[in-house]
Amino acid sequence: MTVRSMACWFIVVALALIPAVAVAADPIVVSIWGGNWKDTVEKIVAKPFTAKTGIPVEFEVGGTLDRLAKARVSKAAPLVDVTFTTTHVGRLYISDGLYQKLDMSKLPNAKELAKEAFRSDSHIGVWAYVYTIAYRPDLIQGDITKWADLWDPKFKGKIGLPDFDPSHIITISALLEGGDEVNWQKGQERLKRLKPNVAAFYSTDARSQDLLKTGEAPVEVMLSINGFHLMDQGVKVKLVNPTDKPGIVGIDTMGIMAGTKKADAAHQLVNFALGKDIQEQLVAAFKAGPTNLGAKVPDDLRGQPGVFTSPQEWKERAYIMNDEVRAKNLAPWKEWFNANIVAR
Amino acid sequence: MALTALLQQSLLEFVPGSLRTGGLTGANFRAVLAPQYLRYIWETIVLSVATTVLTLVAAYPVAYALARARSPRVRSLLLVLTLAPFFTGAIVRTYAWMLVLGNSFVRWPVKLLFEPSGVLIGLVHFSMPTMILILAAAISHIDPRYERAAASLGARPARVFWRVTLPLSMPGVASGCLVVLAWTFSAFPTPELLGGGRVKMVANVVKDLALDSFNWPGSAAFAAVALAVTLAVLAVISRGLARLER
Repeated sequence: MTVRSMACWFIVVALALIPAVAVAADPIVVSIWGGNWKDTVEKIVAKPFTAKTGIPVEFEVGGTLDRLAKARVSKAAPLVDVTFTTTHVGRLYISDGLYQKLDMSKLPNAKELAKEAFRSDSHIGVWAYVYTIAYRPDLIQGDITKWADLWDPKFKGKIGLPDFDPSHIITISALLEGGDEVNWQKGQERLKRLKPNVAAFYSTDARSQDLLKTGEAPVEVMLSINGFHLMDQGVKVKLVNPTDKPGIVGIDTMGIMAGTKKADAAHQLVNFALGKDIQEQLVAAFKAGPTNLGAKVPDDLRGQPGVFTSPQEWKERAYIMNDEVRAKNLAPWKEWFNANIVAR
Repeated sequence: MALTALLQQSLLEFVPGSLRTGGLTGANFRAVLAPQYLRYIWETIVLSVATTVLTLVAAYPVAYALARARSPRVRSLLLVLTLAPFFTGAIVRTYAWMLVLGNSFVRWPVKLLFEPSGVLIGLVHFSMPTMILILAAAISHIDPRYERAAASLGARPARVFWRVTLPLSMPGVASGCLVVLAWTFSAFPTPELLGGGRVKMVANVVKDLALDSFNWPGSAAFAAVALAVTLAVLAVISRGLARLER
């Protein structure tokens, strides 16, 4: 074989490989929180999705607001195609024109979803959880069964609350006084009476778990998923299904970025994540509630806080705040909460 | 350029429930000049000044020993102990303090964690190495013959220290105090973790407004006000320290 013919063969092979390389180098990019969130979604959603469709999935990880800030500055040429975020932060993406409308004809699995999963035309729920009461039975006396128990003087200096988003406890206080998130002022006086019982405030999931684990705050208003996570680590934690008012539901959502050149692939991924099989695996991994009502939930998770398996359960055991009211009120709520509850 | 962007953002109207901003307004400054926010600035000033004073008091003897110890071994040991905290990150150190100040290992007679006293302890520990190094450099530049001359004229050690060593080390004291004061003003992880949300300094409130309330204009306005107050306090204190140096 002459040098010339070898060169010809080399060029032919190289040209033949170009399309394959181009496809492999053109993945869909998913924006999500780091740590366990990304690892689980990568394992349960991304890898099987790639195996099924041949479309590689890459991740951009970060905090809720870091990712939102990045999305804003790259609005003209989005760096990601699909974003996982909380439902009310999804509202901020929408208000800034960062999401495109979902094409429901490309999401056949959405037909099996609970109606609560449809948060807007542009974002759709993928799993659910609640903010409820978690406590260390080995560090407090008696059981906690309802929200009103938090006001018991025996819990003086024992409760941990989230301060990055006080909307849950503000809404619960309002609900206990006959109001809701719209008439939240009705619960103000009640909430002020809770102040002596507060040991600390937390601003991250990790801190909330630390506070409960170390016993610095043996009673907490906590994300159910975090409570289950501590139980898995062997920490004695009880999660409450409050009997007076339901837990405050959080729904994590998926949205497709406006301006993405891979909208079809993005719809495929969203649809894939909403499929019954994938939802079952996500439920088992996160101990969260499925949004697909067809997904089977393990027996030990049925009836647990944040896990809803029927329209009736969604109705009776879940309180879902109005996303828009929540997004608009977050700043005034924070301000009031800081001035009246956090301030020493 | 960053300062210009900050000021520009602070003058734009905050639209609740949206990341879009409205037209020009002075409302953000009116909002952050409310007593609730001014209290955070005041508490930051108090904590920063207290941290500076306590750090100075705690660091001076170590710095003196570091500069004056006759044994090279002792000097080396002190230097290693001083520099050791630099090899661990601020977060790691703060988490360690959380364990110490909490109820995990020790039953403290008074509550320290999630209280200003706990934050103060963390800030002082965080500032110590820098203060020690600055003071040690200043003290080592003082000619020991001045001290020996004072002693030979009958001055007792305490008098030698007050009349000779301390005045001559004032440039180091001033530099150390200004550095510690300036960075304590902008402390974030220590009050965030040791304060448990109950003790907030300026940087924590800036983060609260920007990242939790999505109120970026309000956050920018608060940061601008805090920056102005910081510069004013630093100017006053540096003038006072300059007078002491003379």
